[in-house]
Amino acid sequence: MPPVFPIRRAGAAASPYRRARPAELNFEDLLRPQIEYLYRLAWRFTGSVADAEDLVQDVLIKLFPRTHELLEIERLRPWLARVLYNQYVDSVRQRSRSPIVELVSGAEGEDNPLDALPTAKDGPEENAERTGQRERILRALDRLNPEQRAVVAMHDVEGYSLEELETMLETPLGTLKSRLHRARQRLRALLPMEPFSAGERVKG
Amino acid sequence: MECSEFALRLDDLLDGRLHALGRKSIEEHLGRCPDCRNRHAHALAVLESVRKLTPPAAHPGFIDQALSRATRPVAPAARPKWRPVLGMALAASLVLGVALGVFLATQSEPVQAVALTIDRPETVRLMFNSAKPLKAATVSLVLPENVELVGFNGRRELSWQTDLREGGNLMQLPLVARGVTKQELVASLSHGGSSKMFRLKIEVDNPSRPGM
Repeated sequence: MPPVFPIRRAGAAASPYRRARPAELNFEDLLRPQIEYLYRLAWRFTGSVADAEDLVQDVLIKLFPRTHELLEIERLRPWLARVLYNQYVDSVRQRSRSPIVELVSGAEGEDNPLDALPTAKDGPEENAERTGQRERILRALDRLNPEQRAVVAMHDVEGYSLEELETMLETPLGTLKSRLHRARQRLRALLPMEPFSAGERVKG
Repeated sequence: MECSEFALRLDDLLDGRLHALGRKSIEEHLGRCPDCRNRHAHALAVLESVRKLTPPAAHPGFIDQALSRATRPVAPAARPKWRPVLGMALAASLVLGVALGVFLATQSEPVQAVALTIDRPETVRLMFNSAKPLKAATVSLVLPENVELVGFNGRRELSWQTDLREGGNLMQLPLVARGVTKQELVASLSHGGSSKMFRLKIEVDNPSRPGM
């Protein structure tokens, strides 16, 4: 569980958390240790490696001119998570206003969507079942709206408490609870019991 | 405790946000209500499954390149996007694989079909496997009646110019059916005087139709 943290908003009044890092740290020193985390969170928001990488890239581009502000953030990770969240929500809204048909490409060795389709080479039954279940869960997550998906990712997966998210996302606790409730309800409706109970039986 | 109250407090139970008394009351209810026990087990299983989803690794070299791109003084529009084809297929309603070969041929690909439900957007993804890079290829779409590309309401014909790289190239089509149709979606790819056409049969399911 991530610790409770104070967040200093950009442009906010001076706080005891100012100048938490030496000024000689540069952008790369600050951000490099955070990128894997940001990518992981971005993937949980988007369910797509390409979209997650784009999201992280967009955040880095936005933050670079604000390197001096980053130096003043004591707990950078949750602050970055909020920036990523805002970017994610904005990008989804933008996409829904102007849907994009995009031609994209993958280099050799990268996962290919066609690989996710069942083939004769799927191998052991359990492997196929696992792939199928993963796909079902991802499809269900895709049915959530971006705010619901984000609260599931940040609370249920990354372990931020709702109180932490209230501060991080500047969203009332009641709203977060409601989003989480609806998101979980929707996931349960989309993911019927059978595949999960079967898994439990195997474990037991 | 009634089942309806249990349903209201399920989230608090899952999150360990119940005080001792509330927890005891819920445990007593679970002890005598098999339906709520199942509901609870299902909720735990769904939560666990979501938690266990592990993100695939990022593109090799992603961190270095992302930092480099972020600190490089280029106009945003000129910035190349990270676009490995990955993961998206998991959310796709359909992925059609199309091998373009070394040169684009002129014949059509066989017709494939995709099912849509009225007013429910679905992303159809077409995968083009190109044996070589193609600069400035033109992609054109002709949509059947009652089918829209999300965000382009009322437009039946659209086209874009794009570069195809060697290997897999993914085209995402967020489609929504507004009514039944008997026509096909036609996507064509043209480059250097050659073209290739892909036809997609759209089957529309109307959930409000009697007997469905």
